[in-house]
Amino acid sequence: MERLMERIIQAALDQGADFADLRITDAAATAISVEDGRADRISSARTRGAGLRVLVDGAWGFAPTNQPDEAEMLRCVGDAIEMARSAAPYVTDPGMVAEIEPAHGEVGKPPRIRPDSVSLQDRVRRVFELERAARSSAAEKIANTTASYADGSGEMFLANSFGTFLRYEGTGTSIGVQVVATDGETRQRAVQRRANRTGYELVADLDIEALGKETAEKAVNLLTAERAPAGTFDVIIDQRICGLLVHEAFGHNSEADAVWIGDSILAGKLGEKVAAETITIVDDATLPGLNGSFEYDHEGVPAQRHVIVENGILKEYLHSLETAARFGVKPGGSARAQGHQDQPIVRMSNTAIEPGETSLEDMMAEMDEGLYLTGGYWGYVFTGQGQFTCNVEHAYAIEKGKLGTHYRNVCISGLTLETLQKVTAVGNDQEFELGGTCGKGGQGMPVDAGGPHLRISQVVVGGQSGG
Amino acid sequence: MDNLLEAAQRAVKAAMDAGAEFADAYCSQVREVSVGVENTSLRECEVVRDYGIGVRAFFQGGMGLASAQSLEYDDAVECGQRAAELSRAADADPDFVGLPEPAEPPEVGELFDDALAGLAVTEVVEWCRQGIEESRAIEPEVRLEGGADLAVGGSALASSTGIALQRRGTSVNINFYALLTRDEDVGTYFEYDAARQLADFVPGGVAAKATEEARRYLGGRNVATKRLPIVLGPLAASGLLFSVIGDANAEHVQRNRSFLGGKEGQRIASELLTITECPLVAGGLSSMAYDGEGVPKVRRELIEDGVLTTYLHNSYTANKAGVANTAHASRGGYRGSVGIGTANLQVALGSRTEAELISELDEGLYVTYGGIQPEGASGDISATVDFGFKIENGQFAYPVSTTMIGSDALEMLGNIDAVSSDYREEPGIIVPSLRIVGIQVAGGE
Repeated sequence: MERLMERIIQAALDQGADFADLRITDAAATAISVEDGRADRISSARTRGAGLRVLVDGAWGFAPTNQPDEAEMLRCVGDAIEMARSAAPYVTDPGMVAEIEPAHGEVGKPPRIRPDSVSLQDRVRRVFELERAARSSAAEKIANTTASYADGSGEMFLANSFGTFLRYEGTGTSIGVQVVATDGETRQRAVQRRANRTGYELVADLDIEALGKETAEKAVNLLTAERAPAGTFDVIIDQRICGLLVHEAFGHNSEADAVWIGDSILAGKLGEKVAAETITIVDDATLPGLNGSFEYDHEGVPAQRHVIVENGILKEYLHSLETAARFGVKPGGSARAQGHQDQPIVRMSNTAIEPGETSLEDMMAEMDEGLYLTGGYWGYVFTGQGQFTCNVEHAYAIEKGKLGTHYRNVCISGLTLETLQKVTAVGNDQEFELGGTCGKGGQGMPVDAGGPHLRISQVVVGGQSGG
Repeated sequence: MDNLLEAAQRAVKAAMDAGAEFADAYCSQVREVSVGVENTSLRECEVVRDYGIGVRAFFQGGMGLASAQSLEYDDAVECGQRAAELSRAADADPDFVGLPEPAEPPEVGELFDDALAGLAVTEVVEWCRQGIEESRAIEPEVRLEGGADLAVGGSALASSTGIALQRRGTSVNINFYALLTRDEDVGTYFEYDAARQLADFVPGGVAAKATEEARRYLGGRNVATKRLPIVLGPLAASGLLFSVIGDANAEHVQRNRSFLGGKEGQRIASELLTITECPLVAGGLSSMAYDGEGVPKVRRELIEDGVLTTYLHNSYTANKAGVANTAHASRGGYRGSVGIGTANLQVALGSRTEAELISELDEGLYVTYGGIQPEGASGDISATVDFGFKIENGQFAYPVSTTMIGSDALEMLGNIDAVSSDYREEPGIIVPSLRIVGIQVAGGE
């Protein structure tokens, strides 16, 4: 394989490329869906191909193929060079790459339990157990239950014109459950999911009964929750929403590709205060056992720990080979690609706010009124404006330091830098709660995010009542 | 094209030979050229040739789905066999009756354009170069990103009931996002154009519009929390309306996970709202002669004078409900399963312009764009106004920032008190603005 890939890279250089890299992937995935007591959908997908990227006269060219044989990949060389040359005359901000030491070797360890070592029937049975656990909890209120499972495993080879040749082996597993509860005209949904870059041990070790029951209880509890209030409130957010906030609101702004083009509120702010002094934000792909962990990124750069913000001061951005060259820094090992049809772009890994010293109890006791916000599925940000939106699964009124009225799911919005300056307490209870997939540029990538409880003043809550 | 249908038929036969009771296969191939703009500069060109096959096999109603990124004979056969094997591992589903029978689809013109198919990459590059130029002419310091995509492809569908269909298509789009900075203030906006035919495509002016609009969003301010009339511009209106139509998905209703359960034939919106699905428009962005299972498409009202006329069915949900199939099966490419979706949607127009609807408001909120989509099960809406303006004394007063809307789908649809006569049109798709009264706006004190 190494010789084959060297020949393709050399062909690209011979045709005028200043830099070239080639990824060859071969992966298989299985998905199982159990709904309302029946495992009625089982699927399996095979993906295989190669993606060749070249830099010619400051322009990037990219040509993937689903047929990674030598003849087809040589055709891709011609295509990619032609594509780059088509753009090159009009490039005013030339592409570049930072030089790296070539890397060689095997990346990734086999999982403890390979998913394909477990029979399909056993995997189906486990998903069914999760769905049944959810369905049988508060059964009279449960309208629909869906449990889903997916595993994927495969290998990827990377070669580039610096002489890198790496073989990556990877496995990912996820399992989740969705419950819809009803009471008359009211329907409420709760969702929980676990995902990690591990094997079937994620599922085998999981307390299926507890996950199903807890999800069903959340859905049922939402039936009697009131519509959330609208307006600006002092809030306490839990670890999951802290993860959403640090990933969506802040993290995407720290990706150097956005910074370079000015589409980030952090552009030009290195060394400046961007958050309260109590805030330290770290993106760390080297943490063991998390969904965003890896050993080498997809440009052949070792994974690293990045302290993006230290005590409120912006310290660094996340870099690819290209952005590292543009900013004149060492490559950060933060470039990843979803598949062979995608180019590597700057991505977060495991991103979190570091823990502080305040307990949730103390944080709450100091509040006369406000909201406690917990859980959340999604969020998004417009990085240029720095305006974010985060989903919240449950909200509770805080009245004289105690939890009060329970509210339905709602969203919060704010300006990232304002919000991080308004953090008035940082909890001592950091957790990573958000193992999942981050979407950027049309590519999904496994990430994790988290943090401790945070107390923040004056956050906009988009509820339905109050004005 | 012939090899697509052959591959699909081979896969179906392999699935049936392996014991499936029903099977269908979908093959597609596409060549897509993309040109990227970043930092107000051309950045990259890529050409993606993607192709593959997806097979559904059924055994006692249980479904197995297998896909592969290949159209080779052996891979098609293996894919069919794998789908059949998976279907046997699935639980039986007594609600599954069968796959649709063949029927002659209608003619839909102008979905493939030789001019687009033969277009040189340099033309796509030129659209982007011109976009940069026109944007810089307006704002020399603009930061522009985006690009253009040109796709040429085809697909084939075969089933064990005898369906054997194929089609080809072209599409093109251009999109730009402009960012302007004034000290600490930032204004951004995006614009796009898309078409199936080169003659319908107008790349010039897209970057200029994004740049000019970005200027208008400088100086965003928070809005006080109160109930206000709001006006949804066409982009925001399409986000809400098309999402609600998606919640009429019969599978979601049958599975008890849609807030539109029990609402078929009932009023769910102001009588001012009529939405028609128009799948047969020549050159329409989402035009199609047949759905994802090969059932002929027809034009139909989905919401008529505020009444939800039908749920959206594919063959499975129609058979389960014992009603006629509405031909709303959708396929997410060769890798996806069969879901439910719509073709082009057109919203009936009102009699007064958007400007007239705004001029009648002493105070209100205009939403250009925002994620105003209901949560599918509850219908609740909690969304940020990503781009919008405060309305005061009948006109735009200032752009808004960190301003949210809290409502639910039935409240928003029911409170529509006017639909504009002017509209945004993409080929086959028409969306006017909506004025909605009494909506909770969340912002500052």
